[in-house]
Amino acid sequence: MRKDYIRDQRSRHGRKVLAVLPIQYPKELLTAMDVVAVEVWGPPGVPRGPGAGRLQAYVCAVARNAVAFVQAGGAQDVDGFLYPHPCDSIQGLATLIPDFGGADKPALHYLNPKGGPRPSSQRYLVAELRDLVDKIGGLFGEPLAPGRLEWAIGLHREIDGLRLRLLEDRRADLPDRALYGLLRRGEWLWPEDHLAELKEAAAGLDEAGAGAAKPKGVPLLVTGIVPEPVTIFDRLSDMGAYVAADDYAAVGRRVVRKPLVVKDDPMETLAWLMFAHPPCPSRAVSLAERLDHLSRLVHRSGAAGVVIHTVKFCEPELFDVAGIKEHFGAAGLPVLFLESELEGELGGQTVTRLEAFVEMVAQRRKS
Amino acid sequence: MITRRLHYEMIKHVGGPFLMELQGLSKRLRGRREPRPDSPFGPPLESVGKLKDLMTRHYLEGRYADGAVPVAWVTSGFPVELLRALGFHSVYPENHAALCGVQRLTPEYSDAAEKVGYSRSLCSYARTDIGGVLLDKTPAGRLPRPDLLACCTNICQTVLYWYRCLAEHFGVPLVLIDTPFVYGDSAGHHQQYVKDQLEELMAVAERISGRRVDPARLLEVARLAYEGTLLWGECLAESTHRPAPWTGFDGFFHIAPIVALRGGAECNAYYRHLVDELRYRVGRGIGGIKEERYRLLWDNLPIWFNVRDMSTLLAENRFNIVVTTYTNAWAEAGKRMNPSDPINSAAQSYTYVILNEDLDRRLELMSRLAAEYQVDGALLHSDRSCKPYSIGQVDLRDKLADLAGVKSLLLEADHNDQRAYSTEQGNTRLQAFMEGFA
Repeated sequence: MRKDYIRDQRSRHGRKVLAVLPIQYPKELLTAMDVVAVEVWGPPGVPRGPGAGRLQAYVCAVARNAVAFVQAGGAQDVDGFLYPHPCDSIQGLATLIPDFGGADKPALHYLNPKGGPRPSSQRYLVAELRDLVDKIGGLFGEPLAPGRLEWAIGLHREIDGLRLRLLEDRRADLPDRALYGLLRRGEWLWPEDHLAELKEAAAGLDEAGAGAAKPKGVPLLVTGIVPEPVTIFDRLSDMGAYVAADDYAAVGRRVVRKPLVVKDDPMETLAWLMFAHPPCPSRAVSLAERLDHLSRLVHRSGAAGVVIHTVKFCEPELFDVAGIKEHFGAAGLPVLFLESELEGELGGQTVTRLEAFVEMVAQRRKS
Repeated sequence: MITRRLHYEMIKHVGGPFLMELQGLSKRLRGRREPRPDSPFGPPLESVGKLKDLMTRHYLEGRYADGAVPVAWVTSGFPVELLRALGFHSVYPENHAALCGVQRLTPEYSDAAEKVGYSRSLCSYARTDIGGVLLDKTPAGRLPRPDLLACCTNICQTVLYWYRCLAEHFGVPLVLIDTPFVYGDSAGHHQQYVKDQLEELMAVAERISGRRVDPARLLEVARLAYEGTLLWGECLAESTHRPAPWTGFDGFFHIAPIVALRGGAECNAYYRHLVDELRYRVGRGIGGIKEERYRLLWDNLPIWFNVRDMSTLLAENRFNIVVTTYTNAWAEAGKRMNPSDPINSAAQSYTYVILNEDLDRRLELMSRLAAEYQVDGALLHSDRSCKPYSIGQVDLRDKLADLAGVKSLLLEADHNDQRAYSTEQGNTRLQAFMEGFA
């Protein structure tokens, strides 16, 4: 389905398509330049094919699976690759594939600055964004048209607003599995198509009105990289729990919650937006900032427990685990740490741990 | 403050040197320890004693540094010249973690870090260092508390996450020099970004030290750093001779001054002494191992806890590691240094670092080193704890063999945590590799 959609975007709409590696990238810019971003989060499952052994087993599965997927021709229908710079593993991938082979497509790099906004990093980011415009323009022969970036920023703000509403105004008739399925389609749909789907889902909520049933069960905050395997939501539901607050890098951390600050230069507005994203360790914002953000999510959602669900060997996330445990532990909120490797299904041991955790949180709520 | 400063100066100028003299005298009275007749190694380097003295003094001074002078904990690839010019005492957690690794202390320290939630999947240097901080333990006696954490991402992003944790723990500022990865060439705005950050660093460091940077002092430190880098390069280059006058394993230890004391006169004095000794050995055909039949290149960090066993196994089979990409990195930096222009020079030389450059350049470097040092084979340490160094090694191994005709082995291990290494399995692989040369 995704392949057909991509082919259709190219043939019927004349758009270019870039395969984009995780995590942060200026999607507004791609939209403004009529480029469809198709994100490559693995994909899940056991990596197969000639590229499967090119990265050692101790490298995160997002990177390992991506190499195998790309080399097996999984991204044949795109016009090029965009490699952001979230961590050492994706950085390595961004030289491994273009330099040593695996995909016969042009490679673009976007090196987002690390740390919080500083005068140096703000100036740099604007320059880096302009550089990316030049690179995309050079690659596809179409420069950025006047007014397009402002339009794209507005479009994505509308999308963000709806995504935020769906994430925060949880309803029983849009369970976790369906909600995440909808939100993650934004990883590859043309933004206007994604917006239409979001509007439809939001209209459903409007119809139900304020009296609509809320999800029942144990409310949890889930923080981590990517909600894979998706069956985690089924298991949570079976156990009588649901995601009340989301901080996945692939989902909630994408949604800018701050009101837009419009600058004279749209490129500066975009740079402001990139810094305005919720704190993510892959951008190396301070741990204090992240804890503050997570605490606000807990407070707003009424989450009774925290699940850290990360990909094994993901260093940016793993370094924060101790701080998150300590912070919520001191606040009396139970924390469960789960690691996965983009398996097709949660392992038995992980399910058992999750079950025990949900039971414990449920008992605490009762008492 | 005044008392601490007096203590510090006393140790630096009187106590330390006196202690070293005393140790030297004691060693002379004991007489020189001769190697076992059946040892596969050449005569030990005389410089080892001086190296120990130098580093012991550095750590000894450190014990009295906090409260006396500003203290910065810095990453190995940080442009420390600016801090040194402001009188900072610098502590290198990586160097310290390696010291712990050699003494096989990582499991104990790491356990403490793991207990509070740091995963064993994280870099073992980071776990060792964080564990040491939590336990308040160090084989160096005592590490001074930092006033500043200074981190440069040119070696990995890991150091940034690690230093964020330290900054939270100590409640001190963290300054970051973020060096965009170099794909092909470093873009103009990337260089400008690094320069801008260096200016920001200067402002923070001046505030903490309560001093203004003296331009003349900065030039002098930059000159010394440049000279030290060249001297280190000269030491390494002596191994282009046959037999190599020392081993790559020796180099792993002798790298300590250029990492931890770069920009200081004592560092350069040490390397002058070392290069003289190496040249003396070259002139007399004295090798690092007694019989050097095959020459190897080593890629990645050493396996600190296993250096002795591995070097012995190789030497017994007449294999010598004559060049390593790791030790070479500090020599390579000299090519881009311009001591008369410290800021621009730092932006260049600290951006173009092996781990901050693409794999094409890495392959080119390894091929060049293989040719210059006339190696017969390469050992690529696939280091569980160092993702940026290890990603790409599977391809590098194949390409070195195919393009440069260098037989290569990928050896899976960890630079600091012996729990992640199987000695038997490692030795078996090494032996099979060596048999392939017969």
